[in-house]
Amino acid sequence: MFSDLELDLFLKALYETVYMSFIATIFVCFFGLLLGIFLYLTSENGMLKNKYAYLSLSFFTSLGRSIPFLILIVLLIPFTRLILGTILGPSAALPALIIGATPFYGRIVELSLHEKGKELVETGLSFGANTFNIVLKILIPESLPSLIRGLTVTTITIISYTSIAGAIGAGGLGNLAYLYGYARNKIEITIIATFLIVILIIFVQLIGDITSKKLSKK
Amino acid sequence: MISINNVSKIYKTNNKEFKALQEVSLNIKKNTIHGIIGESGAGKSTLIRLINGLEDYQDGTVDVFEYKNIIKLNMESSRMLKKRIGMIYQSFNLLERKTVLENVLMPISINGKVKPKDLQKAKNLINLVGLSEYINKYPNYLSGGQKQRVGIARSLINDPEILLCDEPTSALDPTTIKSVLDLLKDIKSKFNITVVIVTHDMYVIKEICDYVTVMENGKIIENGYVEDVFYHPVKTTTKSLLSSIGLNYELIVNNNKHIKNKYILFFDKSILNSSIITEVSMKFKTSINILYASITPNEKGVMVVQIPKNIEDIRHSLMKSGVVVENV
Ligand SMILES: Nc1ncnc2c1ncn2[C@@H]1O[C@H](COP(=O)(O)OP(=O)(O)OP(=O)(O)O)[C@@H](O)[C@H]1O
Ligand SMILES: [Mg+2]
Repeated sequence: MFSDLELDLFLKALYETVYMSFIATIFVCFFGLLLGIFLYLTSENGMLKNKYAYLSLSFFTSLGRSIPFLILIVLLIPFTRLILGTILGPSAALPALIIGATPFYGRIVELSLHEKGKELVETGLSFGANTFNIVLKILIPESLPSLIRGLTVTTITIISYTSIAGAIGAGGLGNLAYLYGYARNKIEITIIATFLIVILIIFVQLIGDITSKKLSKK
Repeated sequence: MISINNVSKIYKTNNKEFKALQEVSLNIKKNTIHGIIGESGAGKSTLIRLINGLEDYQDGTVDVFEYKNIIKLNMESSRMLKKRIGMIYQSFNLLERKTVLENVLMPISINGKVKPKDLQKAKNLINLVGLSEYINKYPNYLSGGQKQRVGIARSLINDPEILLCDEPTSALDPTTIKSVLDLLKDIKSKFNITVVIVTHDMYVIKEICDYVTVMENGKIIENGYVEDVFYHPVKTTTKSLLSSIGLNYELIVNNNKHIKNKYILFFDKSILNSSIITEVSMKFKTSINILYASITPNEKGVMVVQIPKNIEDIRHSLMKSGVVVENV
């Protein structure tokens, strides 16, 4: 059905998409967690309640979430060129992916921590524990299932972002779908590429569901 | 042991101020079970949380153990204070992703390393609350009563001198309430702990408390021995709370205004088993009409009776047998 050349193209594109999504997810997980924890801690009910810190963090988070991803990539071109020397290829998409998805995950983390936060913090405080230990040993472990669910949603968002990035030169399945299907009129390649993206997303969702269910001890 | 002096607490939300506590003063004696009761929003939780420093306050002082004005303590002293006070909650506040054993050890493990002797102590406590079969189970596997038992075991891991209970039985069914209260009573005498218990249920006060404080709108409106408050309530709120457990002999008195010569009799524990009323009845050939009878938490008895004739003789005779007689 497809030539060897085309099969190679699919494999390469799949690899690039997985690479971009995976690396970006790792960074977003780290930065988003930090952002979410600080949003939570400085908020109205947080242990380090600080109106100004919260409002400014919250402002940048909302700003980051409201810039359309395509525009974010364009805005970040000088920055990307500065740190990576190029604006093409899968690695070049990473800064935009990370900066685009971190606020998204940050908000999810903030919400997750608020879920049972009040009771858990009070319990920790009554043990005489400090803020650091309460976050590290109570809040995060107890919120883990919910944090994993949030990370699943975030990863899926990142995968769809990679398609947008792909269309403007980052490679991956999005690039393939756009280049062959739209520009060269080979619609079947677009369909297969889309199918692969869908499979990837279903796979991520499945892994996320299983992990969070396993962790929830219900 | 615990001394709260003229404390006021204001919550500020969106430029609005709310006085949750208004110049509250309260002393809680060592080795007693002290109940705090009131309607929802009365300020009970706010008050109990003052004791272990979970709540700050604007005016007054809170002194606990040898610490004066605990709000001013440095971090280290504040930690030491909290270690000496255990707490249990209405919603149990267990960690869902930790086993029963891990939950009980949490007050230690969150601040440092768990030593073998801590582990042994945790196991003993889990045994004490009757959950040894469940030691490696997760809280979601347990019933409400069992969860509260885990909460109780956890609160005891640091050998506290005070146990704070914020509505510990409000999420439980009647039979379970009884068993949790019995456990608290046992623990109090076994470990010589001072127990402070917040509730909106007079039954809890009746079952286990020595002292009771009644709160309304951020103020203490009545305070004293359970006996005294139960049989000589002053405030309407207290009376209506009491009628919820049938301890409303005032109501009986008022509803039987047409009946003359009513008396309230108080019996001491020591004379509860003797048949005083019958003896007096026979001696003076008078049928004494019992309108109300009940037994108090400390096993004193109370009765409302009508004495149709020979009143003075009967009164004398009763008082000689150790009964306190009050005219109403
Ligand atoms: N963090 C807060 N911010 C603002 N108001 C509060 C806060 N916590 C409590 N309050 C108010 O203070 C009052 C007393 O609250 P508290 O929790 O002490 O009542 P309570 O007697 O324990 O009631 P309940 O039986 O419902 O638990 C309530 O009216 C409540 O709305
Ligand atoms: Mg309360």
